[in-house]
Amino acid sequence: MQGITMLPVYLIDFLGATTMIVMSLVAFYYAYSLKTLEPKNVLWTYLFWLCMAMVALSVSRGIGHVLKYVFILAGIHDVWPFLAPFSGGLNTVAFISVAVLTFYYPNVRDVIELVQEEAQRLAEANRRLKEAHRELRILNQTLEQKVQERTKELQISESKFRGLFQGSKDLIFFCDPDGFITDINQSGAELLGYKDKNEVIGMQLRSFFSRTEDWETYYKAVCGILGHIKDFEVKFKKADGSTLYLMITANGLRNAQGNCQGSEAIAKDLTQYKRVLNQLIQSEKMVTVGHLAAGVAHEINTPLGIILGYTQLLEEDLCDIEDVCETLKIIEKQTKICKKIVAELLKFSRSTYEGERTEVDLNKCVEEVLGIIEHSLNMDVIYVMKNLEKDLPLISGMHDKICQVIMNLINNAHHALGKEGIIGIWTRYNADKKEVELIIADTGPGVPKELQGKIFDPFFTTKEVGKGTGLGLTLSYAIVSDHGGEMEMHSPPDDPILLKAGMETSFHVFLPVIKDDDNEQVS
Amino acid sequence: MNRFIKFILCIFFVLSPSLALAVQTHGPPEGLYVHMMAHIFFSAAIIFLLYLLYKRPLGTGPAWKHMKISLILWLLWNIDTFIVHFLAGGLPYEAFEIPDKGFLHTILAHPLDAKRIIYYVGKFDNLLCVPAICFLALSLKSFRDEVRERLMAQKAGGEV
Repeated sequence: MQGITMLPVYLIDFLGATTMIVMSLVAFYYAYSLKTLEPKNVLWTYLFWLCMAMVALSVSRGIGHVLKYVFILAGIHDVWPFLAPFSGGLNTVAFISVAVLTFYYPNVRDVIELVQEEAQRLAEANRRLKEAHRELRILNQTLEQKVQERTKELQISESKFRGLFQGSKDLIFFCDPDGFITDINQSGAELLGYKDKNEVIGMQLRSFFSRTEDWETYYKAVCGILGHIKDFEVKFKKADGSTLYLMITANGLRNAQGNCQGSEAIAKDLTQYKRVLNQLIQSEKMVTVGHLAAGVAHEINTPLGIILGYTQLLEEDLCDIEDVCETLKIIEKQTKICKKIVAELLKFSRSTYEGERTEVDLNKCVEEVLGIIEHSLNMDVIYVMKNLEKDLPLISGMHDKICQVIMNLINNAHHALGKEGIIGIWTRYNADKKEVELIIADTGPGVPKELQGKIFDPFFTTKEVGKGTGLGLTLSYAIVSDHGGEMEMHSPPDDPILLKAGMETSFHVFLPVIKDDDNEQVS
Repeated sequence: MNRFIKFILCIFFVLSPSLALAVQTHGPPEGLYVHMMAHIFFSAAIIFLLYLLYKRPLGTGPAWKHMKISLILWLLWNIDTFIVHFLAGGLPYEAFEIPDKGFLHTILAHPLDAKRIIYYVGKFDNLLCVPAICFLALSLKSFRDEVRERLMAQKAGGEV
C-alpha cells in the first residue's frame, strides 16, 4: 500500500451524513412538539427556530455529502463539481444563521427572565390569593360555626324567655305606641277574665283601667321622658266587670330616634294581697279595740253600777221633789245608755270566746233572722230579695253568732235604705275555695269612697248620736274572723249580678264549709 | 454664489469622465475563506452561548446538560472542520491517489506526515457532529417530557 485508504472516511462520512439528516428531523420533531405544547413559550419558540437552522445545516450538509457519493458512484462526474459550491454556500449560510440565532439568545433570555419574573409575581399573587381564599374560607367556616352557636344560644334563650312568658302566672303584655295590646301571656288573659289570649290582643289597654287618671299617669310615664314606671298600683276592670288590683312595672320601647314604639309590662295581681292586707289591718284594729274595750268595760262597769244604784236609791228617797226626780231619771237613763255601751264593749271583747261549735245551715240562719225582723222591715217599704242556693253546704260555727252577724248586716242595710228600698240576700257555694258566701246588699245611696276604709272601725257610725254604738260591723267582722272567714264591703259591688239587680252596696261574708276534721270536732 | 460653484463643478465632472472600477470581482478562494470565517463565527456563537449557560443558567435538568454537551460537540466539530479545511488547502494534488478501481479506493499517499495524519483523522468529523445532533435531539426530547409532565400535573391539580 502506498498510503492510507480513504474508504473508512467515505464510509463514515456517508453514514454520518445520513444519520445527521435523520437525527435533525428527529430533533425538529421534538422542537415542533415543544412549540405545540406551549406555543406562547419564548424559549421553545427560540429553540424551534434554532433547531430549524440546525436542521437546515444538517440537511444541506448531509444531502451534499450523500449526493456527492451518489453522483460519483453513479459515474456522473460532472454534476457534483457543479453542485459542490452551492452545497458549501448553503452550509455557510446555515452556519451563519445558527450563529446569528445563538447570539440572539441573550435577548431571549432577557425576555424569559422578564416573563419568569412576571410569572413569579403572578404566582406569588396567586399564592396570596389562595392564602386569602383559604383564610376567608376558614373565617367563613368559623363564622358559620359561630352563627350556628349563636343561633343555638338564641334559641335556648328564646325558649327560656318564651317559657317564662307563657308560664308566668303574672300578667305580661306588650303594647304598640297607640296603647293597643300586641301580645299577652295566657295567664294574663285569664287574669283579665278571658279564656284565650287572642281575645285580648288588639284591645286598647286603656279600656282595662278603672280610673282614667291612672291610665294617663301610666302612659305619660312609659311613653314620656321617664320611659318607665315601677310598682304602679292600679285598679283594672276584668271582662266580667269585677275589679282586679294590679301592680305594674313597665318599660317604654324606643327606636334609634328615641320615639316611643310601644311598651312591655309585667303586672302582679294584688287583689288577694290587698284583701289579706285589709283583713290584717282590720284584725289588728279589732285586737286593739278588743283589749281596750275589755279594759274600759271592766273599769267603768263597776262605777256605772254604783252610779245607777245610788241614782235609783235617790229616786226612791226624793221622788216627791219633781225637779230632782226628773233629773235623777235623766241620770238613770244616761247611765243605762252607758251600761248598754259597756255591755256591747264587753260582748265585743268576749267575741273571740270559743263557744260550742255546731253544724250551721247559713240559709236557715237567714230565714230565722228574717223571721225576727220581717215585721220591722215591713213597717217601712223594704222589699227583701232572697237568692238562697239550695243544698248549701253546712258550716262549722256558733249559730247565734252567725245570726247576730246577719242581723247586724240587715239592720245596716235597713238603716241605709231608710223608708224604702230593696235588700238583696244571696248565698252561694264556691267549690274551688270550699267556702260559702253570704251577700247582703242594698239599693241605698252607697258608701262614699272616703268612708269605705273606716266602715269596720270601732265606734264608726253614720247614725245619729245615741241611736248607734258603731260597734255592729266591728263585732260582725270579729265574729266572722273567729269563724275563719272573711268579710268585705263593696260600694258599688264588683259582682255584675248585684249590679244588674241595682245594688249599690254589698257586704260579702265568706265562711269555710265543714271539712272532715271539723266533722270530727263537731261530733 | 455657492449654487453657481456647485453647478460648475457638476458640469466639469460630467464632461470629463474616467474608469470608476467600483465593482470588485471575487476569486475562487474567497468562498473557502467565507466558509471558514462562518465556522469561526459559529464557534464564537457557541462559546458565547456556553458561557451564558454556565454563567446564567435557566435550568439544571438533564435537558440543559444534553444541550451543553451538544454545544461542546458542535464546537469541537467546528474546530475539527476548520482545521481540515485549512489543511485541505495545503495538500498537493499528488497527496491523493485515485486508482482505476474507482473513487472509493482513493489513497492518501505518502509521505504521511503530521499534516496528512491530522487531515485524515479530522475527516472523521461525523464522529463529532452526529453525537452533537443526537444530544440536541435528546435535549429537546427532555424538554418536551418535562413540559408534558408539568402540563399533566397542572391539569391534575386543576381538576382537584
